[in-house]
Amino acid sequence: MKYNLKGMLTGAALAVFATPLFTTTAMAGGITIDLAGEPATMDPHKQWNPTSYYVYRNIFDNILTRDNDGQIMGQIATSWNQASDSTLELTIREGVTFHDGEALEPSDVVFSVKRITNPDFGSPQLGQFNKIVDASADGNVVTLTTDGPYPALMAQLVKLSIVPEHVVEAVGDDAFNAAPVGSGAYAFSEWDRGVSVTLTRNDNYWGDKGPFDTAVFRAVPDEATRVADLQAGTADLVVSINSDAAAQLASDSAVIVLSAPTERVGYMGLNLDKPPFNNKEMRRAASLAIDRLGITEGLLQAGEIPMAQMASPAHFGYNPDVPAFEYNLDAAKAITAANPDLAATPATLATAPVFDQRIVQALQQMLNDAGFNISISMTDMPTYLGIVRSDPAENSELSFGRWSCACQDADGIAYPVLHSASNWSRVNVPELDAFLETARASLDTEVRQAAYNEVHQMVRDNYYTLPLYQAAVLYGATAGLAFEPTANESMFLNRMTMSK
Amino acid sequence: MLRFLLQRGAQALIAAFGVVTLVFFIQRLTGDPTALMLPETATQADIEAMRATLGLDRPLWAQYVGFLGDMASFDLGRSFVQNASVWEIISSRIPRTLQLAAGALGVALLIGLPLGLLMALTAGRTISRWIMGLVLACQSMPTFWSGIMMILVFGVWLRWLPSSGTGTFAHLVMPSIALGLLSLATYARITRSAVVDELGKDYVRSARARGVGPGRLVRKHLMRNSLIPIISITALEISQLLAGAVIVETVFAWPGLGLLTVQSIAARDFVVVQAVVLLGAFVTIAANLAADILYSIVDPRVRLAGQ
Repeated sequence: MKYNLKGMLTGAALAVFATPLFTTTAMAGGITIDLAGEPATMDPHKQWNPTSYYVYRNIFDNILTRDNDGQIMGQIATSWNQASDSTLELTIREGVTFHDGEALEPSDVVFSVKRITNPDFGSPQLGQFNKIVDASADGNVVTLTTDGPYPALMAQLVKLSIVPEHVVEAVGDDAFNAAPVGSGAYAFSEWDRGVSVTLTRNDNYWGDKGPFDTAVFRAVPDEATRVADLQAGTADLVVSINSDAAAQLASDSAVIVLSAPTERVGYMGLNLDKPPFNNKEMRRAASLAIDRLGITEGLLQAGEIPMAQMASPAHFGYNPDVPAFEYNLDAAKAITAANPDLAATPATLATAPVFDQRIVQALQQMLNDAGFNISISMTDMPTYLGIVRSDPAENSELSFGRWSCACQDADGIAYPVLHSASNWSRVNVPELDAFLETARASLDTEVRQAAYNEVHQMVRDNYYTLPLYQAAVLYGATAGLAFEPTANESMFLNRMTMSK
Repeated sequence: MLRFLLQRGAQALIAAFGVVTLVFFIQRLTGDPTALMLPETATQADIEAMRATLGLDRPLWAQYVGFLGDMASFDLGRSFVQNASVWEIISSRIPRTLQLAAGALGVALLIGLPLGLLMALTAGRTISRWIMGLVLACQSMPTFWSGIMMILVFGVWLRWLPSSGTGTFAHLVMPSIALGLLSLATYARITRSAVVDELGKDYVRSARARGVGPGRLVRKHLMRNSLIPIISITALEISQLLAGAVIVETVFAWPGLGLLTVQSIAARDFVVVQAVVLLGAFVTIAANLAADILYSIVDPRVRLAGQ
């Protein structure tokens, strides 16, 4: 028996390398964006991650949106009226069509609300909308009913995308996820799994039309590769770069670095039920030992801002009058020297790889320099989440985290971190709970702001948790691209322009 | 041959069963995927609701029985994270993994075998030592470094090749070289060793005495008799390459199975990890089976068990 090895190898090679020989470049008038990963899903009701919403928010319109300054404005709803403490009436924009040519009706808004709030549907976003107990349409007005006063409702509706009932009902959830139909400025074109998602401009869009014929969102997990793509001219915009990469790009005149403070707040959680941080003086010593400015300007260098409250200027409920925390290592050492047994108590700082370990190590060093006995406990993210959500007795003494509610309302950050009923909170102070509940239950913005002012001052005075900084985000872009990063990390293509 | 194949097939099933069972239980010891799927503001009730939706609230044994039932009906399940069938996700990655593995194997074989042969034929001379130094350099360079260096030189500075991604033959060049360098070194060293062994044997001296030229000696005698260890290594290399090259795929944004596996492990997407591991087990078993069969083809003195 003869074996034609050469023939077999040639056949195999032809079969495997059946790919085009030459590189294709982005089409003129298009934009290529490198993301850190692939969107998990294209169904806007089925996901919760920035990579997905970078893409799908261009395909779908939401009930409301925010402008680049963070102000809530209408999108599918043109106006709204708080008819009672628990009912919000939304007037639906007329003349909007989905990408398949069908009109967007108020019934589609009702369908979208009921879909995402249906527990059987299993949306990861259910917790953000489950205060809505009913939705109904009358003419072009949609009425949302909540289970009580819900002041953060408007902030949440900024994230509620409208899907076409007729398409979802006809094709089912799986097919809709694979080929979504929306009403946004860009229409879904192709999803090459693991590689890229391509969108095409919706020339019939009711609002500002996109400047690019096509937009390709690619999954490029390695930061150095995203930067190289930008410098090589194969990407026009790259996300999630750090200050080292930004410094590298600064010397390249063909690219620019863009940054913006976000609504994420970096903070150190303290276990108030365990020594040494069940002692207020020791908490004060920990705060005095942390050089927040050193962290933001020495380590991070992306435009982060030191914070002294569990909110940022991007949140409703931020109190600009809360004084900054003092950095005074000598004062911290004096406190630990006066409490040697407490200071020597071993304490664990819980963290996960997703967080910037430079900060975690700096915090450990700063606290140990002040006389504490801190060790770092690095675990994977699910384990970390299990630790910080556990009972205080099982919880670590310290944890580092960055909090975002994607709602730009202090309710989304202060309540879960500080209210005794939250599994994230290690604080149990009835007076603080009362202020948080007042702010959560009132539709009067002045009442809410006053309550949050009290919350932030109490946290500041008692060191219930140690806010560190308002996080910033860095993007790299080709020099001709005009793109204004926002606090909610949105990436609307129709708000960009390109000059080449 | 048939009896041999049946025996190996039964062994393969037992091995695959053991592997996926281990993966099933070990994964579930590592944490709850729902914690990663929900916003920070999710309450315990939200977490419990998501666990019920995914079927993770059932007892572990019930999940395992369900999993075995799905496997028996060739149902790989649905991704927790991507809301798509696992087969759909994996099948989109397999062609990319095959392309990269073939490219890397091509680089390794086409460069590694001649280098190994050259080292054997010039053993003891300066050129052999230089080539050995080159081979060691290939083996020592970390892939994440060589990959980034190639991107900087050929993608950013010279702009000869695309810096990342997939879709054309040009996209395949740098990842194939980065991944193939390590295998190249292995092939070169194994080939050198095997050929040096053969050079000392009587049949080589006889052939030379009969006036057989160096080219014919290499083609007809040396290479064929050196092939057994090379085939063994190829089986191992293929199974490693097909199981996924995580670092190369990450650096070059190459959407293969390795990258999918790492991303799925990080997201606790249990069903995808199980399916990829199962696939990897079958690939390893199949590659070793193919190597056994090739032994008997290359060297008729080798008999398969059962024959």
